[in-house]
Amino acid sequence: MRKPPKVILVIALTATLLAVLPIAYLGLRLFEGFDRALAELLRFRTLELLGNTGLLVLAVSASALLVGFSQAWLTTRSTVKFASFFAVLAALPLAIPSYVMALGYMSLFPGFSGFFASWLVLTLATSPYVFLGVTAALVRIDTATDEVARTLGLGRFQVLTRVTFPQVRPAATASVLLVALYVLSEFGAIALLRFDTFTRAIYNAYQGSFDRTSAAALALVLLLMTLLIIWFERRYRGLYTASPKALGKRLRVDLGSWSWAAMAALALVSVFSVGIPMASLLAWSIQGSASLDLPMLLDALWGSVRLASLSGIIISVFATAIALWAVRYRTRLGAWIETLSWATHALPAVVVGLALVFFGANITPWIYQTTWMLVIAYLILFLPNALAAISTPIAQAPKDLEDVSQSLGVPANRTLFKVVLPIAFPGILAGAGLVALTVLKELPATLLLRPTETNTLATRLWDATEDLAYSQAAPFALLLVIVAGLPALVLNAQARKALSEVRG
Amino acid sequence: MAMLSMRAVKKSFGDFEVLNGVDLFVEDQELVAVLGASGSGKSTLLRLIAGFEKPTAGTIELAGDEISSVNKVLVPEKRNIGIVPQDAALFPHLSVSQNIGFGLAGWSSKAKAARVTELLEIVELQEFADSSPDKLSGGQAQRVALARALAPRPAIVLMDEPFSALDAELRTRLRLDVKAILQKEGATAILVTHDQEEALSLADRVAVLRSGQIVQVGSPTEIYNSPVDIGIATFLGDSVLIDGEVKNGKVVTLLGALSPLNKVTEGQVGRVAIRGENFYLLPNPKGEGEVVGQVFFGHDAVVEVVTKGIKIRARSNGPFAPEVGMRVSVWVRGSVNFYPG
Repeated sequence: MRKPPKVILVIALTATLLAVLPIAYLGLRLFEGFDRALAELLRFRTLELLGNTGLLVLAVSASALLVGFSQAWLTTRSTVKFASFFAVLAALPLAIPSYVMALGYMSLFPGFSGFFASWLVLTLATSPYVFLGVTAALVRIDTATDEVARTLGLGRFQVLTRVTFPQVRPAATASVLLVALYVLSEFGAIALLRFDTFTRAIYNAYQGSFDRTSAAALALVLLLMTLLIIWFERRYRGLYTASPKALGKRLRVDLGSWSWAAMAALALVSVFSVGIPMASLLAWSIQGSASLDLPMLLDALWGSVRLASLSGIIISVFATAIALWAVRYRTRLGAWIETLSWATHALPAVVVGLALVFFGANITPWIYQTTWMLVIAYLILFLPNALAAISTPIAQAPKDLEDVSQSLGVPANRTLFKVVLPIAFPGILAGAGLVALTVLKELPATLLLRPTETNTLATRLWDATEDLAYSQAAPFALLLVIVAGLPALVLNAQARKALSEVRG
Repeated sequence: MAMLSMRAVKKSFGDFEVLNGVDLFVEDQELVAVLGASGSGKSTLLRLIAGFEKPTAGTIELAGDEISSVNKVLVPEKRNIGIVPQDAALFPHLSVSQNIGFGLAGWSSKAKAARVTELLEIVELQEFADSSPDKLSGGQAQRVALARALAPRPAIVLMDEPFSALDAELRTRLRLDVKAILQKEGATAILVTHDQEEALSLADRVAVLRSGQIVQVGSPTEIYNSPVDIGIATFLGDSVLIDGEVKNGKVVTLLGALSPLNKVTEGQVGRVAIRGENFYLLPNPKGEGEVVGQVFFGHDAVVEVVTKGIKIRARSNGPFAPEVGMRVSVWVRGSVNFYPG
C-alpha cells in the first residue's frame, strides 16, 4: 500500500479536526449543563416549535413532491409542447436563494408572513430538487414497461401509479428527504416571514438575549431532528441504484387537448417561483434607483466576493487533500477521514454558527470575531459539498497514467502533482467555484459570526429588510441572483445532466 | 375462423406510409412469424394490433370482435393481448412472481398463486420466484416476460424480436424453449423478426413483410423453396442469380439446363436463383471452375468459385472443403426457381 505525501495528511487531518471539533464541543457543553438545558426544553414553547417545524417540514415535503414530480413527468414523459423550455424554468428557482424569494413576496404583499407564506415560498424554492431527482430517474425507465402494463389491463392513470411512480420512488424519496433537510435548516426565508421554527427561535434566543444555554438547548433538538432525517436519507438512499441501462426510445403520453392545461400549469408554477419575486425585486430596485447607495453596494459586493473566493480556495484545497487521500490511496485512515468529513453534511447553519460562537468565545478567542471564524464555519458547512464535487474528477484521472509516469522515472509523489492534479484541475476549479457561490448565498452563519465591520450582499439585504427598507434591499437581492444564483445553476452538474436528458 | 384478422390495414405517420394495405390472418393456436428487414414496418404492425397506434385505414379483428378501425380503437388494456418486448421490460420494482402475476388483477389470490406457480414451472424458473428481475440473465428475463404475457391467457401473444438482444447460442436454445412453452399453453402468437433462420425454424407459417405489405405467406418450406420473387429469394438465403432462357421446359443457363420448380412458358427470358446448397463441387484438375475463396464453419463451408465468368457461392458439406486455387467442376442439383424479366 502506497502512502500519501505528508503534506496531504496534514491538510486533510486539519480540515477534519476543524470541521468536527466545534460541533463536538457544543455537545460537550450541553452535556455538562444538562440539567439547565433540560429545564430550558421542558417548556410549552419547545412543543410549539416542534409542532411548527414539523408541520412546515411535512407540508413543504408533500407539496414539493407534488409540484416537482408533476413538472418532471410532464416535461419528460408527456407530449407537452416546449418541454425543454419548461424544464429549464422548473430548475430556475435554484438560482434564487429562498430568502430572496421571500423578500420578493413580502415586499409586494404587506402582511405576507406566517405558516402559509413560509410554506408557499419554501415549496417553490425546493420543488426543483424533486424535479431534478425525479427527472433523472424518469428518463431511465424503460417505457416498454408502460406498454406491457397497458396490455395487462392497466389504464393510463393506473400505469402512472402502479408502474411509473414505484420505479421513481427511491429517487423521489431521496429528493423529498433532501427537501425536508432544507426546510429544517432553513433560516433566512422563515425568519423574514416570521414563522416560529427552531432556526428562528435559536437565532432570536441568541441575538435577542445572548441567552446561550437556551439557544444551545434548542439547537440540540434541531440537531436531533436533523440526524433523524439524515438517518432516513441514508437508509433510503441505499435502496436507490440508478440503473445504468442505455436510454432507449422514450415514449411520451399523448396529452391531447390536455396539453394546453399542462402548459398553463407549468407556466403558472414558474410565474410564482420566478416571475413574481423577480418582478417585485426589479420594481423595487427601479423605484429605489434614485437613492441607490452605490459605494455601499460595491462595498458589500467586494465583501461577498472576498469572503467567497477566500473560502472557496481554502475549502477546495482541504477537500482536494481529503479526496486524494481517500480516492487515490485507499488507506483505511483515508476512508475514515472522508466519512468523518461527511458527518457535518446537512447540519443547520444556525447550529454550526452557534457551535462556533461557543467554541470561539471559550477556546479560541484569538480568532473569534475574525474572518477566519467565518471561513471555518463555511468549511464545516460546505466541505461535504466540495468533497462531492472534487472526488469525481480526482477519481476519474486514469490510474494507468500514474503507472506510466512512474515507469518513466517520476516518483509517486511528484507524479501526483505532475499528472493527477493537472488532469483533475478543471474539475477541482469547478468545485471551488461552486463552493464560493454557495458561500455567497449563505446567511445565518454569516450573521452570527461576521466581524462587525464585514458586510456582504446577504447581510446588507438582511439589515435593510429588517428595517422594511425594501427599495434598499432589492438591489442586493438582484445582485445575489446574478452573481451567485445563476452561475451556481450553470455549474450544477445534476441540473445540467437532467436538462440535457429531458431533451434526449 | 381466424383468431386475428387484419384487413387492408394502412398506417402513415404524417406523409410517411409505413404500412400500405396489410392483410394477415392468424389461426387459433398458430405461431406466425412476420419476417421483414428493419424499417419494413414490423414493429408498427405489432403496435397496431396491441392498440398503441390507430390505423389510417382498414380493420383489425380479434376472436371475432373488431378491435381497431379508422373510427374506433379499443384501448390496449381491454384487448386481451400479451406482449413480449425486445428487451423483456420486466417491472424492476417487482419480483419475478409479481411480474408474472401483474395481469391477474381480477383473479382470486388462490387462483393467482396457482397460475403463477404453473407458469414458473413451464418456464422452469421456480427458484427465481422471489428474485428481483436484475438477478436474471437475458434469456431468463425473456422467459419471465413470456410467462407474464401468457398469464392472463391472452387471445394472442405479440413478440417483438424477443431474441435479438441475446447471444447466438442462447438464442437458439431459447427459441426451442419458447416454441415448447407456447405449445404447452396452446397460445396463439405473432413473432416479428428480421432473422430468416429464426422465422423459418420457429413458425408454423411465415409472412414476409416488405415495403409495408405482406408479399408472401406460407409454411417455412414453401417460403424457402418457392419464394414468389427474386427479392424474397435473396432475402431468405444466400442465392446466386444467373440469366437463363426457357427452352423445351428447361431453363438454359451457362451452368447447364436446369429444371424449374415453378410454371414457365416457352421462350421466356429471366433469371434463376440458385442457393448455395444446390451447387455441387467436384474436384477436377481439368474443371472450368477455380476456387477463389473459402470460409470454413466446421459443419460446412462456403466456397467461392469463378466458373465461366460467373462467381458463385456454394455450400460444401463435410469436413473437407476445396482449397483456394483448386480447380473444380460445378453442378447444380435439384430444381430451381425461375423469375421472368
